[in-house]
Amino acid sequence: MKFNFFHLAPYPYLPEDWEDHHETMSLDFPNGNFDPEVGHGLYHRYLDELEYAESVGFDGIAVNEHHQTAYGIMPSPNIMAAALARRTSKAKIMVLGNAIPIRGNPLRVAEEIAMLDHLTDGRLVSGFVRGIGWEYFAHSISPTRSRSRFDEAHDLIIKAWTSTEPFQWIGENYEYRYVNIWPRPLQQPHPPIVMAGAGSLETMRWCAKHRHTFMAVISRTETIKAWFDGFREYAAQEGYEPDPEQLGWVAPVYVGETDKKAIEEARGPIEWYFKKSLRQPPGAGLPPGYMSTESLRTALTKGRIPNFDLSIEELIAGGYIIVGSPSTVAERIHALQETLGFGQLGANIPVGTVSQQQTRESTDAFAKEVIPLFREKTAPVAT
Amino acid sequence: MTPTTTAAESRLAMPGGEISLLRGGDGPPLLFLHGGGGAGAWSPLHEALSRHFDVIAPDHPRMGRSDDFESFGAIDDLVLHYDDLLDELGIPSATVVGASFGAWLAAELAVLAPARVEQLVLMAPIGLRLPDHPVTDIFLMHPEQRVAAAFHDTSRAPAMDGDIDAFVQAYRDMSAIAHYAWKPFMSDPKLEGRLRRVRARTLVVAAGEDRIVPRAHPECYAERIADARLVVVEDVGHALDVERPEAVADVVVSFLSAEEARS
Repeated sequence: MKFNFFHLAPYPYLPEDWEDHHETMSLDFPNGNFDPEVGHGLYHRYLDELEYAESVGFDGIAVNEHHQTAYGIMPSPNIMAAALARRTSKAKIMVLGNAIPIRGNPLRVAEEIAMLDHLTDGRLVSGFVRGIGWEYFAHSISPTRSRSRFDEAHDLIIKAWTSTEPFQWIGENYEYRYVNIWPRPLQQPHPPIVMAGAGSLETMRWCAKHRHTFMAVISRTETIKAWFDGFREYAAQEGYEPDPEQLGWVAPVYVGETDKKAIEEARGPIEWYFKKSLRQPPGAGLPPGYMSTESLRTALTKGRIPNFDLSIEELIAGGYIIVGSPSTVAERIHALQETLGFGQLGANIPVGTVSQQQTRESTDAFAKEVIPLFREKTAPVAT
Repeated sequence: MTPTTTAAESRLAMPGGEISLLRGGDGPPLLFLHGGGGAGAWSPLHEALSRHFDVIAPDHPRMGRSDDFESFGAIDDLVLHYDDLLDELGIPSATVVGASFGAWLAAELAVLAPARVEQLVLMAPIGLRLPDHPVTDIFLMHPEQRVAAAFHDTSRAPAMDGDIDAFVQAYRDMSAIAHYAWKPFMSDPKLEGRLRRVRARTLVVAAGEDRIVPRAHPECYAERIADARLVVVEDVGHALDVERPEAVADVVVSFLSAEEARS
């Protein structure tokens, strides 16, 4: 079991009357609300937290890409990864991921990841994501092109990494007469690839086909189970059984001294995350063409349209989050692992408005009292 | 809306896929190009037009009951498609009536093939790039908000039930508009300059209470097309042909029958 420390880097300081005037903190929430001094402090705090996670034993430290939002202030995750590269030495540096369909120039992503692979001494994990609804508005990319741009950018990037001769690329979305990137990546044939997904059939099929890691984003346990089962089924169709580590799950995690204290401390930060930061601009939750009609019909008929307006108790009960004392958290992870069969957990410990101090304590407790239980547990099996 | 007995539904193979089309009435040919929400509908407006014309109302590729036309990705694909369709139907020239997105296509067709379009009716047309008069971003709305934006009196809007099929169909239709018109947003930047090519006798119909397309758009069409007049239908929103089809039919039919009388 691999444990990754997952950061979203939120900007948690909304004006008190935010809710009276805004439906969302994304796309059109004025950037005048970003205080440069405060933001400057946040970047350094968050990088410290990521570095600290390595020092206490997390296998990976993960950053990701979001645009024009207080939800996450890492429009370029590659810059975060670069900042972490030479300040760390053991953990995988996971970019989860570059939103390749909304980038104008995927070749630039291939170049940056290849550079990062050298800077991290081959510790880089390259995630690709489609980007969230509002980001298609933010970067003026048609969501109806999302799938086609994603697939083509992926194929182009892999070919750019693995080819040793210049080549020409002419596709539906991108045209390059000369592709010949310097540097080639350090890891051969290329850094491992992770795809984060919210259950679209095409994503799972695609991911299983390419044998990439599938990282499920926040949802309730039954939904995640349906996604993972779907992934395993697609893998079976491709003629293989996925290693548990090929299935990852990202979830907000908070470890407190006792269950009661943990819930008390995490209530504000986690409900901020779910009830406020996940709210999309109207219409951007399901931008036209972002989903295939097949996936939309499945989501509607199976009731898999997420509702995040939930209390912490409901979130715990639904399996969206893991909160409690170290032993409760460990038991919960164990139980979910049994049910879902994942081999990687992306613990989003610095979630929502959780303070620096709380993050430190929760990270410590997780690293010292939860992770070791799994190391011991799996050690005999591995030998 | 289900087709009445006066319209026959058929499927037609075209380069790129099959389309579904409704056809009814007698007289000279009239090509009716629907807007974002009008695929598959045979409305009182169609009915009124069919008393004077042979009304041909196809669903656009990727919309209504037409196929996905995977190779189609931009507005020019549709314009050539309609040029092809007239060939396929053996119609050298026709009256072309369009609503909103369909009006944009109609204008483009009249630019591409001026001799094919004898008369042109543009109802609440989009398609021009007027940065000082932005078209409302309907993609950034819930379906309910979209209805509120498109209708002046939302009680005249078709009922939105919880039917999954209807929701998926509406999503597919809106996805098609996004596919063709996300960027440049709802416009062809070159269209305004090219309207000089339009030879058709033209009526531009503006919706009095249009909250999606600012009045500057129909005004600009009427200004740039040589033989064009602008009529405003009051008490109606952007989806004018759905919201007040009878009132719109009066205006359109009287414009078109004036021509009949003249010829």
